[in-house]
Amino acid sequence: MSGDTRITGDIQVRALTKTFRTTTRRPGALGTLRSLVNPLWVTKTAVEDVTFSVAPGELLALLGPNGAGKSTTIKMLTGILVPTAGEVSVAGVVPYRERERNARNIGAVFGQRTQLWWDLPARESFAILRDIYGVPDAEHKARLREFDDLLELSSFWDTRVRHLSLGQRVRCDLAAALLHDPPVVFLDEPTIGMDVVVKEQVRGFLKHQVEERGRTVLLTTHDMTEVSRLAERVVLINDGRLVMDGTLEEIKRKFGDTWLVRATLADPEAAVSALPGIAVLQREGPRVVFGPEGSHAPTVHQALKQVIERYEVSDIALEEADLEDVMRAAYQGAALEASDVLEESAVRGGAGS
Amino acid sequence: MTAVPGVWRTARITPLGELLTPPRMTGVAVQLVIQTVLVVALWRGLYADTGPTTAGLSREQAVTYAVLAVLATRLRELDRYAGRDTVMQHMHFGTIVYWFLRPVSPRRYYALRALGDQLYGLAWAAAGYAVCLAVGVVQPPHSAGAAGAFALSLLLGQWVLYYIMLLIDQLCFWTLRNSAAMLILIFAQNLLSGVYAPLWYFPDWFVTLSAFLPFQATLNVPLSVYVGRIPLADAGPQLALQAGWVVLLAVVTRLVWHRAALRVVSQGG
Amino acid sequence: MDHRSAPWNAVRVAWRITKLNFRAQLEYRAEFLLMIAIGAIWQVSVIVFATVLLTRFSGMGGWDSADVLLIAAMRMMAHGLFVLFLGRMHALAYRVQEGVIDAFLLRPMPVHRQVQLSFFPTNAIGDLTVAVALFIGALVRSSQEWTAGRIAFLIAGVLGGMLVEAALFTAMGSASLRYPAAQYWSRWLEELLGTFGSYPLNVLPKALSWLLTFGLPLAFVAYFPAGVLTGHGSALGVPMWLAAASPLIGLGLYLLSRLLWSWSLKHYTGVNG
Repeated sequence: MSGDTRITGDIQVRALTKTFRTTTRRPGALGTLRSLVNPLWVTKTAVEDVTFSVAPGELLALLGPNGAGKSTTIKMLTGILVPTAGEVSVAGVVPYRERERNARNIGAVFGQRTQLWWDLPARESFAILRDIYGVPDAEHKARLREFDDLLELSSFWDTRVRHLSLGQRVRCDLAAALLHDPPVVFLDEPTIGMDVVVKEQVRGFLKHQVEERGRTVLLTTHDMTEVSRLAERVVLINDGRLVMDGTLEEIKRKFGDTWLVRATLADPEAAVSALPGIAVLQREGPRVVFGPEGSHAPTVHQALKQVIERYEVSDIALEEADLEDVMRAAYQGAALEASDVLEESAVRGGAGS
Repeated sequence: MTAVPGVWRTARITPLGELLTPPRMTGVAVQLVIQTVLVVALWRGLYADTGPTTAGLSREQAVTYAVLAVLATRLRELDRYAGRDTVMQHMHFGTIVYWFLRPVSPRRYYALRALGDQLYGLAWAAAGYAVCLAVGVVQPPHSAGAAGAFALSLLLGQWVLYYIMLLIDQLCFWTLRNSAAMLILIFAQNLLSGVYAPLWYFPDWFVTLSAFLPFQATLNVPLSVYVGRIPLADAGPQLALQAGWVVLLAVVTRLVWHRAALRVVSQGG
Repeated sequence: MDHRSAPWNAVRVAWRITKLNFRAQLEYRAEFLLMIAIGAIWQVSVIVFATVLLTRFSGMGGWDSADVLLIAAMRMMAHGLFVLFLGRMHALAYRVQEGVIDAFLLRPMPVHRQVQLSFFPTNAIGDLTVAVALFIGALVRSSQEWTAGRIAFLIAGVLGGMLVEAALFTAMGSASLRYPAAQYWSRWLEELLGTFGSYPLNVLPKALSWLLTFGLPLAFVAYFPAGVLTGHGSALGVPMWLAAASPLIGLGLYLLSRLLWSWSLKHYTGVNG
């Protein structure tokens, strides 16, 4: 039947901008009372001039620190929010202009917020959604079977939602979001708070949905293992602005080409100076930390060689940034120069261990 | 309109939740019995010290009115709160976004849920009515004509009530919370529709005031028609007034849905 | 910290949290103003209802209108004080479901006090405003001679009524630690107290008024103390000494309910989050 049909839909975002107008409280008790009658309005830009696209059958990770504008972007793509400026098209539909038509093309899971009915068994929620989306019965059954195989839902889908554990509930929510076979799926931190086993199961499920079923997935997460496991491409936003759009490798190259060489000198009094492309980041007695400097810095192995050749060392270790470090550098230093980023992460590295 | 089977499945969310929680149903039954017994005793007690008729209502009419009012509260007092499906909770938990992510409009979803809730409540009220009729605390309707007018008037009354409750829920889109407004509504509904005491006992100024409000259309009109305090001949204008409220409130709530959706799309819910 | 400053410290913390809670209520502007209005309007409705009954039905159970007004005033005052100081048990079942008790159990403060300090009862402002007005009205209209002893009993009666209501809702709260369905009973109980707590219970048949005395101690809230004060002592359906002991019974019931609360908390099994 529909087992091996591939469904296609893409996402196009151009110059997307969203500003909010909200009330704020005046300071002090008197101010609070005054705000009761005459609220103070402020304008805040949540998303500014963001442009990117997701090809059909691609999984894109939308990354950024908390409050960067990820959720606002997703809300505009799902048709909940109307952009202040810019253009959006999801599977050929402008979401906020044709909300209901867009709704049939998309599925969405917003982290810990469940769309299931609290008082009913999860399976009843599936049935209600089947009717709301008008999915034919046979198709619904087949899809439930498929989801059950991947997510092991049947062991708990007759339990009322209020009694489900978080992992069980989110798995049900994932199933609920995909029951109507949407070509485009939005997942806002879907695995937050889950244990490793469930996370792995969910990742397997998502991989299957992208690779076998050809769904287009836009994912936000803070879990870097998830990103490296699932995402071919990454879009990074910070302060509402797009910082970077590229593959994971490109991000690593841009923000993660950081390395540190930690050396303990045989002579604690020895004079230490910078080498070409290598800076001294920290010195405490015999312990010296070297890092790359400028755009023509050597690779970590060349640097290691140079340090050993130049100084007499009793101990030496090298560190390469893992993905978490890369992202930290990217979040903190998106606007800064590469050397500033390095200094920052080196200081943190030194203080941490 | 294509998804006809969807109607009953969305509508039965509350009843199903109740059926799956037997203690709630036991609670409802026990409370209903106690409340009815107390109300019957109170009005019989009050009439025992006074004449056979007060404010144009005989003892039997008063008791019938009061018991039907208790039963009618079942029609609306459903706990969607326990099922975390009130607008206020959806705003609180941020799950209101899902209402706007489905191919069924929030307006239609809300209406279907309410339909199911009120039909479920009607089952309770009807069962209670049958028992009360058998025991003899409630008189049968005056005539077949009165029964018909009552049924129509009750339908219109519930319709008005639905819109009033909807308006209060819609308030959440602006204030986030509506528990205070909901309390005011329940109060106004109880007082101005005749749940506490038949409106006929109230001073003239009060009756005049309530004539300008929609609440008396929800319950006082149908119950007065039932007990014969509003004669069948005079029922016409009252029914027309109820219908007028339905139309007016339908227009208003529709407008508010529109504004609410605009608000969600500009603020994000 | 020495033993004298510990309770003082607790009071200070409670006061500071209450101030913050009050500020928090101001955040939702419409809700705040409506909440005060609701307290007031709700109580006005009780007055309107009482007036209606009194004008339409002469002599409710042999009580004249001034005496019935005293019942209503005492009950409303007791209720307002209850909402202000010991309320907040109403929606506890929902809070329990949200896992709030689990969080409270982690903090170094009695859980009951944390529940009491969880939000500011804005509606109590409206409740008490109307209650005070009605109370003054009832005292002005009453033909009683207000000696020091009577005034003392009046105050004790109001406090006792507050404690009876607090005991009932503390028991409800204890139940809701375990049974979410307890919520259904809380709301019904509040309505029952509001409607049947303010009138002479001898309007009802013996069996029912007995039930509302010993089954559900509603008679002790205001009916008995007001009956003692207005000289209906012999017609209350219970021995005079029992009616006169209402304030003590309120205290006893409240202490019992707190024991029940502690016991329930000890057997609290948590919620599935």
